[in-house]
Amino acid sequence: MGVLRVVRLAAIVAGGALLGLAWNAWSGRGFVLGQSVFVQAGDEVIEPSEAKARLDRGALFLDARPRDFWTMSRIPGALSLPEEEFDRSFAELEPKLRGTFNIVVYCSGYGCEASHIVANKLREKGIHAAILSEGWPAWTDAGYPVTGQK
Amino acid sequence: MSNPWLHLALRFGLGGFFLYASLDKIAAPSAFARIVYQWQVVGPVPANLVAVILPWVEALAGVLLIAGLWKHEAAAVIAMLLVVFIVAAGSVMARGIDVENCGCVSTAKAEEPSWFKGVGWFLIARNLALLGAAVVLIRAGARSIPPPASSERTE
Repeated sequence: MGVLRVVRLAAIVAGGALLGLAWNAWSGRGFVLGQSVFVQAGDEVIEPSEAKARLDRGALFLDARPRDFWTMSRIPGALSLPEEEFDRSFAELEPKLRGTFNIVVYCSGYGCEASHIVANKLREKGIHAAILSEGWPAWTDAGYPVTGQK
Repeated sequence: MSNPWLHLALRFGLGGFFLYASLDKIAAPSAFARIVYQWQVVGPVPANLVAVILPWVEALAGVLLIAGLWKHEAAAVIAMLLVVFIVAAGSVMARGIDVENCGCVSTAKAEEPSWFKGVGWFLIARNLALLGAAVVLIRAGARSIPPPASSERTE
């Protein structure tokens, strides 16, 4: 492949990159590149070590995964608040949630938006909940305790 | 494989596919970023960059192929993308990650069966077929390079 072809090839990639970055900046459809796309304004995202510290201080954990996952295994003391059953589950948990000031919500990890959605819905109801970054796999990878069926 | 009509058909087919595939991702970059992240090949910030840049590279290469400008280089870019897609899909499958919508042509949630739209053998087979088309176009371009003594342009 000649030098001219390599230059043209690089120009296509560079041109695409410039167009993409310009579109993201000025089209009105763009988003913040420097943080996870799941993070919304007002989200408090915490690392597993901070979540563990909060668990040790008595924080209430909410499991935003489908209920079957919660049944199988969960962070100790976590209550099930699946994103797809939010309204029904919230009605059951509301008194407890309104009396708790240290809440952490988590979901399935990579590409999982449920914890952000649940935290946002709780915020709309006046309840603040922190979000465990990378969710369940980050917690288990760190070797932190879990309960439930194996 | 040197039939000019075949090359024309491959250019329009491959270029049209990649141009079409880019449109929804360009329209919804944050939705595409979510899908890229689900592949678990790169972290959240690199996934954002991929989501913003990749569709435009696809669109540019597709337009150039259809227009017949820098067509062999555009085919080479598409071939490189397809190799990356195939390797990434193999990695996703080997790790047992369930990606219902690969984000190949649409950012909408999967309505078709997951074998058709998700990351799986169908996706790899389709990308191998597209890669074959791109290689045919690249090889046609390699044959069209004039010998050093000639000053005639072939494109």
